[in-house]
Amino acid sequence: MSLTEIPAFARADGPDKVSGLGRYTADLTLTGMAHAAFRYADVPHGRIVELDTSPARAMSGVVAVITDADVPDIYLSAEIADRTLFARDVVRYEGEVVAAVAAVTPEIARAAAAAIVVRYEVLPAVTDIEAALGENSPLVHESWDSYATSGDVVRDRNTAMRSELHRGDADAAMATADVVVSGRYVADASHAVPIEPRAVVAEWQGDHLTVHTSTQVPFDARSRICETLELPTSRVRVIVPHLGGGFGGKCGAHFEPHIAALAKVAKRPVKLVFSRYEEFIAPDRRREGMIVDVATGVKHDGTIVARAAWLGIDNGAYMADATFFPQLAAMHVAGPYRTGSLKIEADLVYTNRQPSGSVRAPTAPQACWAIESHTDEIAVALDMDPIEFRRRNLVATGDVGPMGQVYDEIGALECLELATASAQASADQKPLGPDEALGVSMGWWPTFAVAAGAFAKMHADGTVQLVTGGQECGTGAVMTLRNLAADELGIDPELIELVYQDTAVAPEGPGASGSQTLLNHGRAVEVASQQIAAQLRELAADHLEAAPEDIVLAESKASVAGAPAASVAFTELVERAGAELLGTASVEMPEYPELPTSSTCIGDQGMGAWLAPQFSCHVARVAVDRDTGVVRVSEVHTAHDSGTIINLMGAHGQVEGGVLMGVGQALTEGTRYDDEGRQRNAGLLEYKLQTIADAPSIHTQFVEIATPNAGPRGAKGLAEAPNVATAGAIANALAKVIGQRVRELPMTAERVWRAQTADQSSTTTEQDQS
Amino acid sequence: MTLTIATSVDQAIALLASGARPIAGGTDLVVGARQGKAPLPDQLVAIDRIAELAELTSTDSETRIGAGVTHARLMTDGLIIERHTAIADAAALVGSPATRNVGTLGGNVMNGSPAMDTGAPLIVMGAEAELRSADGTRRVTMGDLWTGPGQISARDDELCTSLVIPAGGPGSGSAYVRLEYRRAMEIAVVGAAAAVTLSDGVLTSIRVALTAVAPVIIEIGDLDNLIGGAPDRALHGAVAAAARDQATPISDLRATDEYRRHTIGVMAARAVDAAARRAAGEQIPVPVNRSLGIGAAQ
Repeated sequence: MSLTEIPAFARADGPDKVSGLGRYTADLTLTGMAHAAFRYADVPHGRIVELDTSPARAMSGVVAVITDADVPDIYLSAEIADRTLFARDVVRYEGEVVAAVAAVTPEIARAAAAAIVVRYEVLPAVTDIEAALGENSPLVHESWDSYATSGDVVRDRNTAMRSELHRGDADAAMATADVVVSGRYVADASHAVPIEPRAVVAEWQGDHLTVHTSTQVPFDARSRICETLELPTSRVRVIVPHLGGGFGGKCGAHFEPHIAALAKVAKRPVKLVFSRYEEFIAPDRRREGMIVDVATGVKHDGTIVARAAWLGIDNGAYMADATFFPQLAAMHVAGPYRTGSLKIEADLVYTNRQPSGSVRAPTAPQACWAIESHTDEIAVALDMDPIEFRRRNLVATGDVGPMGQVYDEIGALECLELATASAQASADQKPLGPDEALGVSMGWWPTFAVAAGAFAKMHADGTVQLVTGGQECGTGAVMTLRNLAADELGIDPELIELVYQDTAVAPEGPGASGSQTLLNHGRAVEVASQQIAAQLRELAADHLEAAPEDIVLAESKASVAGAPAASVAFTELVERAGAELLGTASVEMPEYPELPTSSTCIGDQGMGAWLAPQFSCHVARVAVDRDTGVVRVSEVHTAHDSGTIINLMGAHGQVEGGVLMGVGQALTEGTRYDDEGRQRNAGLLEYKLQTIADAPSIHTQFVEIATPNAGPRGAKGLAEAPNVATAGAIANALAKVIGQRVRELPMTAERVWRAQTADQSSTTTEQDQS
Repeated sequence: MTLTIATSVDQAIALLASGARPIAGGTDLVVGARQGKAPLPDQLVAIDRIAELAELTSTDSETRIGAGVTHARLMTDGLIIERHTAIADAAALVGSPATRNVGTLGGNVMNGSPAMDTGAPLIVMGAEAELRSADGTRRVTMGDLWTGPGQISARDDELCTSLVIPAGGPGSGSAYVRLEYRRAMEIAVVGAAAAVTLSDGVLTSIRVALTAVAPVIIEIGDLDNLIGGAPDRALHGAVAAAARDQATPISDLRATDEYRRHTIGVMAARAVDAAARRAAGEQIPVPVNRSLGIGAAQ
């Protein structure tokens, strides 16, 4: 069932956020609270030869100084347990935390952190992905083989993780191609850049710890605290106030354990608030740099017979959550096309840079930019219209995916037709100028499902509270979860309150990560609401002398079907019940599709088959200032298959935000490093986000296919998918205008200017098949 | 730290003489302190409430812009748009609405950044800064005022009270354009201002100044040989060549020296083109960057 006929309603958290009334973690002040500051490594790779905290301890106003020596001897158990809370012996990136200070003012804390004496034996920094894979490269982790791992981790030297996708005999198939097109694409690292730099306030009461923190994933944060500080789950409570955005950057656990440990020593609450600079350099969440080398063999009629590729992905210094990146990126390089035989190898490589981690649709925008650029280059080599080439090769319902998954009903082709028609209609109305072009890109993205729970309460006054493991980080939990409950209960969504994150009261859930809020928490909210609805029907049936199945719930009243005049208010029913009505739901994970044995995944991280895959097509209208290389995007036309849309207003918001983030990645957002691996543009003046003045007009259509075995009412996720295809669409429009391919991301003005003066075309080889 | 809110120029000057530093909008001073460039001075004198500094007056021969006039006012003031269009072009590009609402022309000038947007327009219009101290009042040209990146020839006890700009004659037009990667919160990668006068379609004067391609904003020399010609593509080419020749750009995060040298020619040519079109009577709304899509095609 589609819910799009339900009027969309605006965000409940909007007024607080725009008026300044909303309270964020940094706004919290507790009695006796001290302020934290970190001492960072500064050196991207070095062995600690002296660490003397006594100058900091001697400073007036300092209440605690801690290092690796002051916390339990634990290696963090990400998929590769390769680090400790505080640097131990060796520092491996500039933003690694060496020591933490708590003081009565932030200024004293910073001065004390600076006063700590740290001397290093500087080690050679590993900063180049390809060089890092060489036999003679220094190792980022000398004793990497002693680290504990979980799951199917394939690694060697600086290779943190390797995945391969194989289908058929790609070499033999490639030899049968009429034309082979090959090219290299290189993407810089970029950042999530939430508007709120992260903050943590930790407070001990006896042996119980409460942590207020700006995390997208409070239960992950709690786990990390328990693991590293050796605390039982029951004694740790994580609360998330308003969250000022995350974009994946606040997934995972970050500095909650550091501040908790500091508060324990300080014997008072401690607060950490990051500067923008720290937000850039310290967290283990940046979008990974990537190299894509790809060759595709095609027949003259556009049939793809083989694809071979190698991907190099910059993991940075430590494992955050990136072991699934190689396989996921490889899937994107395979693409949502019928690609014949495949041989895709992907290396996730340790370097002495900030760790990479899940940022909105990890690996996809770069890999999609590469492969969709490549797709247009193939079409050019075949002298075929790029839209027609995609039309001939896109996967459709019943088709087989790269690793053999058979698709249920999917709308990839519909996305292509809708978005291109929309863009063409606009171009018909306002013809393209001589410096303008339209560019097309497809995108796709999996849906991530896990078990989740929800509590719902209907109070005596007829209002409802929803308590979930979800978190509102801008993705719209405040809209969609209430939409679902309102529809089940027959009440105005405004009567429903979403209780923000508190691990002490909510059932465990994945938080705001992986586009899972609606998908997982939504399923639980639906069931919990249904339980209350059933109670209302029972109570009303008794009162109205009808069967429960004949009771209709609408406008906070119950009535008998066909006789709306005789109704009873929910408030009266709750009163009759003598207690508030409760719903408690726990829903299991849907079953993932199985893979046949005809394909092989090496280093399998469960990304070979995608649950309820989402498809999209973005078409960008782009103008190029040829003399300077500055590119402007005036329109983006999108079509998305994300299943049923629950809240249309929120859905448009997700797509528009994703597109604007995509424009930034396409044109201006890229981290620059010095030769040793330090970030050179760790600030908002030189790391150039798009502004609202730069925003194109965005025209979105949804292909609503109710998807079985996914989210509530056939919904899939929609937070990450809109961030996938935009850069590829811009790249293809740009290449049409200038007649050259810009092979580096972001496609900055200077890179565009240089591309115009140098031949950067791909290699096209005609093969004689006679 | 002490902060004194001055109500008169004399009071401000007295405080400067005793070691205080002036603050108006604070968009350079406070942001710089937060970024750790320089700590806030121990003594500050706020000059944003001195009425005299917010005056904008004109005679037939000159315009006097008080040092405290904001960018927001400059970009919308009818006289500035009519007579000193390049200044309005530049003011409209500075920072964000918030920056423009509090940031002042005097602050911009005395900050001495070679990337400041209003500097090149002031040079091509022959503006002078009026500096007042207990010793009296003196005027300096922009070229004499700016001595290096963030360095000025004014003494610490001198307060910039106004910028004095000769009124352009009939047939004059000016424009400022800059290369920018986005449309707000941007700093010039390079920029150029031009002021020209046309008589019967022939160039009778031309001045061009360049932003962010040298330690200070520089004026292109030796353009007099272009006088007497038409404002055509040959003129644009000659100006672009001169700009590239005389620029000494550096490489930094925003651009390489090579790219700056190329684009300064583009900007200089576009500034001259827009200025000449305005001189010929064409209405190109402020700022030129938005009207003509400079830095990004339409």
